Amino acid sequence: MQVLEIERSMDMKKRETKDNDVVIRCKNIKKSYGRFQVLNGISTEVHAGEVVCIVGPSGGGKSTFLRTLNALEPINEGSIDILDVRLPASKKSVEHLRREVGMVFQSFNLFMHMSVRENLILAPMTASKISRSEANKRAEILLNRVDISDQIDKFPGQLSGGQQQRVAIARALAMEPRIMLFDEPTSALDPEMVNEVLDVMRDLAQSGMTMLVVTHEMNFAREVGDRVMFMVDGRLAVSSSPNEFFENPTDPRQSAFLSKIISSGASRP
Amino acid sequence: MRFDTHQLVLNYHLILSGLKITCLISLISLGFGVVLGLVLCLGKLRDKGIIYRVCCGIIDFFRTIPEVVLIFWVYSCLPLLLSFRISAEASGVLALSLFAAAYLAEIFRAGVLSVPRGQVEASLSLGIPEFYIWSRIIFPPALRNMMPAIVNFLTELIKATSLLSAIGIAEMSYQATILGNKTFAYVEFLSAIAVLYFLIIFPLSLSVRTMEKRRLASAGN
Repeated sequence: MQVLEIERSMDMKKRETKDNDVVIRCKNIKKSYGRFQVLNGISTEVHAGEVVCIVGPSGGGKSTFLRTLNALEPINEGSIDILDVRLPASKKSVEHLRREVGMVFQSFNLFMHMSVRENLILAPMTASKISRSEANKRAEILLNRVDISDQIDKFPGQLSGGQQQRVAIARALAMEPRIMLFDEPTSALDPEMVNEVLDVMRDLAQSGMTMLVVTHEMNFAREVGDRVMFMVDGRLAVSSSPNEFFENPTDPRQSAFLSKIISSGASRP
Repeated sequence: MRFDTHQLVLNYHLILSGLKITCLISLISLGFGVVLGLVLCLGKLRDKGIIYRVCCGIIDFFRTIPEVVLIFWVYSCLPLLLSFRISAEASGVLALSLFAAAYLAEIFRAGVLSVPRGQVEASLSLGIPEFYIWSRIIFPPALRNMMPAIVNFLTELIKATSLLSAIGIAEMSYQATILGNKTFAYVEFLSAIAVLYFLIIFPLSLSVRTMEKRRLASAGN
């Protein structure tokens, strides 16, 4: 009996915990810049361990939606329950939340005046108050995991785009977050560097991390995603399993988007 | 005419004491200017609200009036308004501090804004406390970017101290004109202080050039 359970838990993929463990619940969130409505009533739930890929035409509000989840963008209406915080929230709870929600940006946003090591230890030391030696240990393990431990004392400017983005992922992971947000993580990369970043993300998904990924990499969405969200005009037009999403489009805008993506070759292997 | 070094030799100690006062007033005004400029800069960085508007007003006011007018105004009008006397030196320092604060506030603001927004967003997303965002993320690159402008302004400030001779502060220009009046050796004294100003300011200008070059070189990679 016990052995069985252990085996089961070893086999256990992220899907196991999903049904009862909601980590993000958005209720009718709205946001506008002046008269322009960016988010127009988004409601959805994300479960622990789920990998959600957010796709759609540019200007549809994908990035803005992602950035509302760690309160980089304040919302005008509605509410977001994320982990144990309800947004909008006080500055203090937002800071607390952000320590548990990692984010990776399109343009990496590494601290250019610090070495790779310093990039990785700054947040753990200042936000989580862990010791330098502990933070260093963590940094070394993480850099090993993203396969760039030999670059630890270089500066970001000396690294390739793909390496920089892997450092950025490691930097976010150094806070031991429970959720990871990726905002077009491969869009600023040269084509030959896309896969090294996607591989790291794939490993992360395998390890059971809850991930929300705004992306144009349709193959990644198909292979790694548990769910695909299609956003257009600030609305969540479609939310379905990857198979369903790519094989049986239900929304005319979704079909239009898919045919464009596929004919333009934007979907990389 | 002939260049009469005799008078220079006799009175060089007065010129040197003037030089000392010039340097002292420059540095003190710079110090007050940095502190007050920081406050004004933080106020203006708020981008809206009453504090923002007050800071903008102060900065614009002291940047637009000529330094001489400011010096005379602080020296002769301020005591009347507040009905107490302050020394010429104090009013000179006050006037130049206000002048420095207004210019430095704008330099600081440009420095802070020169740090890409993404750097701040990344540190926010990591939950880094605000104090460390300022001290570790914004300040180091901002300081590097604004150092040339600060040193450049310091040279302006040193030159502006010569205006204080108008209210009788015994800085270098004042000493030279007084000695000129006394001995008629205008050429000698004024040339001497011109050289001294050059010797102080030129190295500073050179350092600005070096810093600019280094900054451009590092921005290139």
